[in-house]
Amino acid sequence: MYRLWYYLRETVLSIWRNLSLTLAAILTVAVSLALVGSSMMIREGAERATAQFQQGVEFVVFMNPDADTDQDAAIRHVLDSSPAIEGYTYIDKAAAYDEFETLFADKPELIESVTPDVMPPSYRIVPVDRSAGNVNELANQFAAQPGVREVATATEAIRQIDDFSTLVSQALLVAAVVLVAVSALLILNTVFTAIGARRQEIEVMKLVGASNWFIRIPFMLEGTIHGLIGAAMAIPVLFVVDNEVMAFFQESDAVPLFRGFAVPEGFVWDTSIWLLILGGAVGMIGSAVAVTRYLDV
Amino acid sequence: MIRLEGVSKVFKGDVTALREVSVEIQRGEFVFLVGPSGSGKSTFLRLLNREEVPDSGRLMVAGKDIGEMRSWKVPYLRREIGYVFQDYKLLSKKTVYENVAFGLEVIGRPRSVIRKQVPAILDLVGLGTKAERFPDELSGGEQQRVSIARAFVNRPLILMADEPTGNLDPSTSVGIMRLLDRINRTGTTVIMATHDRGIVDTMRRRVIELDRGVVVRDESRGVYE
Repeated sequence: MYRLWYYLRETVLSIWRNLSLTLAAILTVAVSLALVGSSMMIREGAERATAQFQQGVEFVVFMNPDADTDQDAAIRHVLDSSPAIEGYTYIDKAAAYDEFETLFADKPELIESVTPDVMPPSYRIVPVDRSAGNVNELANQFAAQPGVREVATATEAIRQIDDFSTLVSQALLVAAVVLVAVSALLILNTVFTAIGARRQEIEVMKLVGASNWFIRIPFMLEGTIHGLIGAAMAIPVLFVVDNEVMAFFQESDAVPLFRGFAVPEGFVWDTSIWLLILGGAVGMIGSAVAVTRYLDV
Repeated sequence: MIRLEGVSKVFKGDVTALREVSVEIQRGEFVFLVGPSGSGKSTFLRLLNREEVPDSGRLMVAGKDIGEMRSWKVPYLRREIGYVFQDYKLLSKKTVYENVAFGLEVIGRPRSVIRKQVPAILDLVGLGTKAERFPDELSGGEQQRVSIARAFVNRPLILMADEPTGNLDPSTSVGIMRLLDRINRTGTTVIMATHDRGIVDTMRRRVIELDRGVVVRDESRGVYE
């Protein structure tokens, strides 16, 4: 108990003595982790917005929920035998309902209004020739089949949105990785300075037989606290991204697909926890390097 | 208590600090280490608390083989060895009381023990009334007393002093020696490296003389030369 108090006191004192460098370290952690978090959210949102059109799926044939087995078999026969079709996945009612549930986890009233029974089963189809003209032609053929409710195609726009969000999230991630490295170095430097400021004390501590970890812990705690405070400062940014930026896309009518551009309920909190872990880890690693290189205990 | 068997220590550039030194020091002895600068006195002391590791030979302190000792155990060895320096090594931003308490705090002694032992040791070294002073408000002799208090507050088995009177005038030095003598009478082994002829000749204790890393004289109740 007393020891805990000692560690905290030493850590707080050291942060206070070294305030400007500490603030620089904390802010860099905050900015870099805000970017990491935003990148994770954009990636998640984009993935969900275009979930149906991944791995080469160019169009989706939705069946009527009450289509009979003959109609279903006919579609399946065409898919299996047509040389224009490379492959397909069948999503049955239950799977469709599961997906719906995940997609709209934050809108329980919407989920309550449907049951697996009314969900349309669908075929996600990968054609051999993926040019827009060919995809449209195939889509029209399937749309005319009995039992088919509608056919959705991956238009050029979807692909652009997908590419765009991938680009944005990757650019953010690259910037974030660089900044995370910078913040680790800044924390290393801050801790190094803190060690320098207490060189005399450390010498006496070694002399009277303070254990190695007793000497190390306040410094490692200091670095870890930098990381955690930085992460805590980045978390509000995630909520702004969720409530303002992503909401803006969801409400805009310009690109209908972006209405699905959302992260599920709890994703922001999960991301926040990851940021805290990451921040703490960056701080701990930065200070551990400083401690092992400069403390000599 | 302390046994060196053919201990040698060579520093970089083939500087031999100690060569084949064999010495045995019993519990409760008072030993002066004398010899010119660079004769290996400080290295002798630094080996005992494992600031240096012997290159060859065997070194036992308080029943433990120093050469074989794992580094994580070193702090526990040092808790048995108080160390006093010519330049005191006090922390200028801490009061006398805090300086001494620091020595107990950082080895995890409970606060109740600290509250009891620090005033007692300050009384022992004659600084009971100056507990709240800062080191730069004290004379050199008083600062050295604080440093001795810090080294002894944990009741170590061994007290080492490297030129403890080196910065003090003769009359102040006498006071410091009385204090070390008093500590020695509690059963603590005291090893003191010194250049102070007057002190060695007055005290008439065991004298070990080093010259270029070799023990050239070892007398009980010896003199400086």
